[in-house]
Amino acid sequence: MRSASLQIHLAFKLATALLAVAGSVVLLMALTRLIPGDPATVILGSRATPEAVAALNARIGLDKPLVEQVFVFFGRLVSGDLGEDVFNGRPVLALVASALPNTVALAISAMLCAIALGVPLALLSARWPGGKIDRLIAFLSVGFISTPSFVVSVFLLMVFSVTLRWFPVLGAGESGDLGDQLWHLVLPTAALAAGWVGYIARLLRSSLLEVLGENHIRTLRAYGVSETKILVKYALKPAVLPTVAVLGMGFGELLGGAVFAEVIFNRPGLGSLIYDAIRTRNYPVVQGGVFVIVLLYVLTNLVADLSQSLIDPRERSRLISGRGQ
Amino acid sequence: MTFNPTRRQVLVGGASIATIVAFGGVHPAVANEDRTKIAVRVEKDLSNLDPANRSGPVDLNVIWSVQQGLISFKPGSTEWELDAAEELEQVSDTEIRFKLRSGLAFTGGYGDLTAEDVKFSFERFIKPDSEGKPVTYAKDWSALDRVEVTGPLEGRIILKNPAPALYTIALADGSGRILSKKAFEALGEKAIATKLIGSGPYVLKEWTPREQFVLEINPDYKGAIKPHFLQIVGKPIGEQKTAEIAFQSGEIDFTAIDPESGKALAELPDASVTQIPAIDYVWFGPNIEKAPFDDIRVRQALRYAVDIDAILQGAYSGIYPRANSLLAPSLLGYWKDAPVHARDLEKAQALLAEAGHADGFKTKLTIEANARYEAIAQIIQANLAEVGIEVEIEALESAAYWALGENDASKDLELSLIKYNGKFDPGFQTQWFTSAQVGQWNWQRWKSADFDALHEKGGVTVDPAEREKIYIEAQKLLDESAAFIWITHNLNAFASRKWLKPGVLPNGNNWLYTAFTEATA
Repeated sequence: MRSASLQIHLAFKLATALLAVAGSVVLLMALTRLIPGDPATVILGSRATPEAVAALNARIGLDKPLVEQVFVFFGRLVSGDLGEDVFNGRPVLALVASALPNTVALAISAMLCAIALGVPLALLSARWPGGKIDRLIAFLSVGFISTPSFVVSVFLLMVFSVTLRWFPVLGAGESGDLGDQLWHLVLPTAALAAGWVGYIARLLRSSLLEVLGENHIRTLRAYGVSETKILVKYALKPAVLPTVAVLGMGFGELLGGAVFAEVIFNRPGLGSLIYDAIRTRNYPVVQGGVFVIVLLYVLTNLVADLSQSLIDPRERSRLISGRGQ
Repeated sequence: MTFNPTRRQVLVGGASIATIVAFGGVHPAVANEDRTKIAVRVEKDLSNLDPANRSGPVDLNVIWSVQQGLISFKPGSTEWELDAAEELEQVSDTEIRFKLRSGLAFTGGYGDLTAEDVKFSFERFIKPDSEGKPVTYAKDWSALDRVEVTGPLEGRIILKNPAPALYTIALADGSGRILSKKAFEALGEKAIATKLIGSGPYVLKEWTPREQFVLEINPDYKGAIKPHFLQIVGKPIGEQKTAEIAFQSGEIDFTAIDPESGKALAELPDASVTQIPAIDYVWFGPNIEKAPFDDIRVRQALRYAVDIDAILQGAYSGIYPRANSLLAPSLLGYWKDAPVHARDLEKAQALLAEAGHADGFKTKLTIEANARYEAIAQIIQANLAEVGIEVEIEALESAAYWALGENDASKDLELSLIKYNGKFDPGFQTQWFTSAQVGQWNWQRWKSADFDALHEKGGVTVDPAEREKIYIEAQKLLDESAAFIWITHNLNAFASRKWLKPGVLPNGNNWLYTAFTEATA
């Protein structure tokens, strides 16, 4: 009975996730065809004859009705085929597979970097609320959040690539050379993580201050437990719950939002793949890339959702006991 | 409630920073010191390496360096030189004889280059592909009737009609590259889009999509055009600013730049900036089918009201040359005595009053959305406001803008600002202004039977002097219509290392990698 309740909960979440993915792809396919322009114009040049455009559209299957194209896409998807690049016939799956690790690596490193800096900053702020440190961190956090990432990117490039020549500008590093790949990851990670550092610091600080005002914390203080120990050992765990939920969505956003970093740092990731494909109206690549992004977004949200349920003892017990279903 | 760091915390913090700095110090992104290879920036990744279905200059530049043609362009010029052909003779208006050099061989073990390969490569353009569809660049060889093989290394190109443009549009260009028939049949039509087999100076050693391609000298090459660098690495960088930063950091040795950035980049100690006048044509004009632009006096008033020099100053930093007619100075048919229409507000107002629009009117100017065109549009808007014409600016995203060339979408345009790329034959430029192009790329919808006839005549006239006269006459008709207000032929600018001499053709988009050499002091 108890495990059935958990299974229903999981099945419901999965079904919702799949529906969201399918809906997004259909919407995307409709939208991409509503905007003017087509790949034929890009391939043939802006002044191609209508006959040449029609012939090319027929060659790449864009002359079929949209509904038929949607069915073809899902039909192929079942067999793990995301279609072909309209320009050279390369499988979209291979393009996405080669780009995805670069984007995932960037999103993970940016998130880890944001957590590694944001959590200590939140602890410092909450340790001395209203003090100089708290005010300084508040100033820095708001500064990080409000500075557009592309400005941070250009600033980092001008300082660390052009002036100091410490870090490279282009690419994701030599394939198979982990050190080189990590080196290429530093600046995009910093650019992408900056806003999230401030966000996590502010969000977690608020949660910590809320928890620090609760009765059990007052009891711990009465027992003479040190303020630092209270903060790290007793307040952090309950306070981190809202942040975990935000991080789940944040990771999905980072996957999609990495596009600017990938474009500016010329990183061959999924974001820049989709960006280029949109510019050239390379529909199969747009569809395949967005499908994978949406899938990852939904999955990370699902994982965040479930992990929150597992971290929170009240939610965990509600699910296992089947109450509230 | 204050933070007082201990000595240990200060030391640990300092040591961490020092470690990061030291770690950075051992990974400098230094400039390329090895002068046997260069890294060049390309604006986009390679797409399709089949010459008949290529997708733009980035593909073409690589195809040129790997596959030979009977002839190829000379570095820095619109003229051609012999390549795979040892001899090439225009026997009559419709026949070209060729004799190939002996000993030319395709890479990958696909055998010698023969006249059969020439026949196969050229006739592909006039035959449907395996799916019954014409190849993308079929039009380049529309004058071709057949290629006759008269010996292992000799043959005749037979044309349906005289086609003087064939040399620059097809033979020396991408559509004149010679494929290995054997390789095509072994690999299949689809595979040759990504696998480049040739007999030229370079081989495509590596192509990692969206990261880089690597050209290396073909050790078995026996042709006449000698490459200089052992290795050329192409890095696709879409963003202009990123390319300039990568150049400054030393990661690339050559990139096209915005001419306005030239001054700053030229100040770098190891950089050199080259400017080459381009052959594009940027203009704006009205849709003459729409009132009030159907009245030539209104069109003339527009031309008097707009300050082209102010546009060149405001939108092009005063460094782009002014265009006064369609064809750029480096092209056959350049009209050097074309009138320079100076701004004259009194004449503009008088013409408008004469046409019954003394109080002006409202209109819309459609442009492709980018900072430069928006700046031009705003100057035009301000200029025309002075004679009472109220202009609304409509800026469209690139693909949406160019979609105006489909399905007669241009019929609703009023004023439009347009930039077309040029090719080396004047007939390529004039074709867009013919009556047949109304509904497609003739957005001014201007029709002239005389112009159409001149365009046709220029396309089949073999004598260059005669052709020059024809194209000047054609440009006079464009000028008389007052439907085309020319702005500039554009300017190409490139940044390269001081020791590098780039091999750029006059249109700016096409580069001969074989002509990239070390600069001599």
